[in-house]
Amino acid sequence: MSDQGHEHHSDFVPRRFLLAEFSTPAGLLAGTTKMREGGYKNLDMHSPFPIHGTEEALGLKRPKIPLIVLCGAIAGACIAYSLIYFCNVFDWPLNIGNRPPHGPPANIPITFELAVLLGGGSAFMGFFALAKLPQPYHPIFESDDFARASVDAFFLSVELEPGTDIDRALADIRAAGALSGEIVEESER
Amino acid sequence: MAAPQLDVRDPLEPVALIEGAAGHTDKTINDSLLAHVWRGAGKGWWACFAVALSLLGMLVISISWTLYKGIGTWGNNIPVGWAFGIINFVWWIGIGHAGTLISAILLLFQQKWRTSINRFAEAMTLFAVICALLFPLIHTGRPWFAAYWLLPYPSTNGIWPQFKSPLTWDVFAVSTYFTISLLFWFLGLVPDLAALRDSSQSKMKRTIYGMLAMGFRGSGRHWAEYKWSYVLLAGLSTPLVLSVHTIVSFDFATSVIPGWHTTIFPPYFVAGAVFSGFAMVMTWMIPARRFLGLKHVVTMKHLENMNKIMLVTGMFVSYGYLMEHFIAWYSGDPYEFAQFFYTRMRGPMKGIYWTMIFCNVIVPQIFWSKRWRTSIPVMWFASILINVGMWCERYNIVITSLHRDFIPSKWENYMPTWVDISLFAGTIGLFSTLFLLFLKFIPAVAVTEVKELRHELAHDPTADPVGETH
Repeated sequence: MSDQGHEHHSDFVPRRFLLAEFSTPAGLLAGTTKMREGGYKNLDMHSPFPIHGTEEALGLKRPKIPLIVLCGAIAGACIAYSLIYFCNVFDWPLNIGNRPPHGPPANIPITFELAVLLGGGSAFMGFFALAKLPQPYHPIFESDDFARASVDAFFLSVELEPGTDIDRALADIRAAGALSGEIVEESER
Repeated sequence: MAAPQLDVRDPLEPVALIEGAAGHTDKTINDSLLAHVWRGAGKGWWACFAVALSLLGMLVISISWTLYKGIGTWGNNIPVGWAFGIINFVWWIGIGHAGTLISAILLLFQQKWRTSINRFAEAMTLFAVICALLFPLIHTGRPWFAAYWLLPYPSTNGIWPQFKSPLTWDVFAVSTYFTISLLFWFLGLVPDLAALRDSSQSKMKRTIYGMLAMGFRGSGRHWAEYKWSYVLLAGLSTPLVLSVHTIVSFDFATSVIPGWHTTIFPPYFVAGAVFSGFAMVMTWMIPARRFLGLKHVVTMKHLENMNKIMLVTGMFVSYGYLMEHFIAWYSGDPYEFAQFFYTRMRGPMKGIYWTMIFCNVIVPQIFWSKRWRTSIPVMWFASILINVGMWCERYNIVITSLHRDFIPSKWENYMPTWVDISLFAGTIGLFSTLFLLFLKFIPAVAVTEVKELRHELAHDPTADPVGETH
């Protein structure tokens, strides 16, 4: 978020986005690649469903989720096993027929379940954390057209750095195959 | 395949997953699948809802009575210490399994036909698990005192749950199952909630769906992580769903009661769970696809595939029955033999046994015939019979085994009380209420995934040239 002025709106510098619609997913991928190669930064695609090839077009790095899930699952397994071990061996050992207090096979189910619980939980929480959601307001929602991004439209958005030549950016995005192009500006809240 | 006199079509002939796909765009799919959310509730919905609510009222009354008087109001007594509460627990949790199978396992196997039914089946999983969880909770008699032996927390008693007991494993398995199913379901729902937000007509609806959608904006950067998150949740759910009913079966298998003490229980329970779960999906899907106008995305192909799965899992279950009887004889254990060949087949509860055999072994065999597995009335009726049969199976396992164990002087018959029956009927009410609310407020089909599927199907034969020419 850019700095916001609560008292005077003179401090407020709105973020500006170039928003352009493409007719097909393939067109959007090609257009995104072209814009990225043309030197534009802070690109994002908006589509009603995941498009195959998004990562390549946006030039994204490897997803972080798998590692997060792995850590969550290992943490879950360790917590479960060590809790059971602590309870059965140190805190409250029960001697039943002189069986050893530490019985590994009996620990498998709970260890497994907790690994799944924390692994799955971190897949879920990890996604929302990485996506910085929930985020009720985003400047891109200022566009009336953008409501169609969740229905049937494919958009490319470019966050424009201050001082970008808007006319050139509009011309570039049309050259990249966009159907339309508009400038969306953050409103002050 | 059978039914030669009628069916001359190639059994492998592709049938549409989205009917009239060529005439559809993302917009028409979006509108047709969200229409039932925006449409006001019809008379039929209100009629069903009234019935469901009155059953739910019975649940409230019977739970209140149980908590007020104690579980002495149930028919359970020695030797039948586990009865309706456990039957219903196992039955409901089994029903939930189809949802996870459809949403997770079929996703990993890249079965495209799962797309139209996964949302629906996952919702069923959640509601079924809620119904299931109620029973062991009430069965503790005073659930607010039960916490210390259910969950490990440092209580002032200074004692911990018995981690070597399958009942404690159950607590972890079922609560994990519920949580993960909920997260998986909600994650799949977020893009559809965004679609609902963006097609809302009123400010209030827009605000509510907007809050639930959490500001999702279909960002490519988000989708890149989302896909991984979704597929990993599916990957984790797959062993989870197998473990849940396995652990439920351990509740029985680790004991020494004749009829319980067998190693075949885990796979046989899992197969039975999927079998009954698909039957329940079918029971609800057939009216829903008609009344919600979903026939173009839930096609005969989907129904037929579900029937095939019921046939396969029905055969697993039949094999389980066969093996139980075989081992009872082959082991030479007289108590096991008596349990299976006298008590179950010829004992006072033989009606339940033979209903189970009819519904679970014989009824699914009709799905060998293409004509019958594509007949809506036949499959609907069969799915109800299978649900009945699977309930009878659990009755056989729980009550029939307990009422005749080792010492004849201990034998005693079992009769449920009105509280038992109202609790069971009440959970059907709870399930139906939740399900009807789900059908009213949330798209019953995963809209995002159907759009994606339509693009995949459209791009399979010929690449779409439009994108390149611009």
